[in-house]
Amino acid sequence: MTPERFETLSEAYGGDVARWPAVEREAAAILMTADPIWAQTVLARAGDLDAALASYHAPGGTPGLADRIVATAPRPRARWVGWLAPAGMGVGLATACAAGVLLGAQLQAAAPATNASDADALMTAVSEDVGLYLDDDA
Amino acid sequence: MGDPDEELLSRVASGDPAAVRALVARKLPRLLSLAGRMLGDAGEAEDVAQEAFVRIWKQAPRWKPGAARFDTWLHRVALNLCYDRLRRRREVAYAEPPEVVDEGPGPDRGLFASDTGRRVAQALMALPDRQREAVVLCHYQDLGNIEAAAAMGLSVEAVESLLGRGRRALRAALIDLKEGRNDP
Repeated sequence: MTPERFETLSEAYGGDVARWPAVEREAAAILMTADPIWAQTVLARAGDLDAALASYHAPGGTPGLADRIVATAPRPRARWVGWLAPAGMGVGLATACAAGVLLGAQLQAAAPATNASDADALMTAVSEDVGLYLDDDA
Repeated sequence: MGDPDEELLSRVASGDPAAVRALVARKLPRLLSLAGRMLGDAGEAEDVAQEAFVRIWKQAPRWKPGAARFDTWLHRVALNLCYDRLRRRREVAYAEPPEVVDEGPGPDRGLFASDTGRRVAQALMALPDRQREAVVLCHYQDLGNIEAAAAMGLSVEAVESLLGRGRRALRAALIDLKEGRNDP
C-alpha cells in the first residue's frame, strides 16, 4: 500500500482502521508498522472528524412508536384456521352424503307405499274382475 | 456468512408475534437513525420507519434466503422512501419558496447531544444527497463498503469516492470546531 492510498482510505473511512475494507487492513498494518508516527498523524486527523460525527445522535422515536408498528403486522393465523378449510370441506361432504342418504331413504320409504297402492289397485281390479266372473259363474 | 436476520424473518412470515416484536426492536433504531440523518427531521423519520415496516410485512413471506442480506434490502427500501420525501421537499420549495431562511433542522433541535451535534447535522444536511447517503451508511449505519455499495446501487469505488468528498466537505464545514478545541 502506498502512503497516498493510506491517506485516501483514512479520508473515506475514518481514523479507525478496523472500519476500513477488510482487504486493505493487512497492507495498512504493514505501513503503520513501517512509519508509525506518520500513520498516527494521518489517522488522528481523520479521527477528529469521526469524533465530531459521533456527537450527532439519532432520534429515538416517540413513545409508543414500536407498539404502533407492531400493531400493523399481519395477525397470526390461528391454528384452527389451518385445518378449518379441509375440515369444512369434510363437513360439507358429510352433509351432502347425509342429505343424499336421507333423500334416498325417503324415496325408499315412499316407493313401497306407491307400489303397495298400485298393488292394491291391481288386486282390487283383479278381484273385481274375478268377482264379475264369479258372479257370472254364480 | 449467513444472514443474521434470516431466521427471525422466517418466524415473522409464519406469524410469530414474538418474532414481530423482536424484529421491530432490532430494526426500528436503525431505520430511525438512517432516515433521521438523511432527512434531518425526526417526525418524517418515524413516517419512513413505519412505511418501511409495512413493506417488511409484505416481503417477509416472499423472502428468498441467499439473494441479498435482509438489512441491505431494508436500507435500500428506507433510502427510496427518504428520496421520495426529499424530492417532494424540492418540488414544494420550488413551488413555494420560503420567505425566511431555515437555520437548521428545527424538529430535531432537542435531540442533539450538543451544539457540536447540531452543527454536524447542519453540515450533513448541506451535503449533496449521495454524499450524505454514503457517510450515513458507512459511518452511522456501520455498513461495510460492499454492503453500502449494494444498498446504493453503486460500485465500491464510487462509494469510496463519495465518502471521501463528503468527509472533506464536512471537515471544511466544521473546521472551526477543531480550531476551538485546540484553543487554550
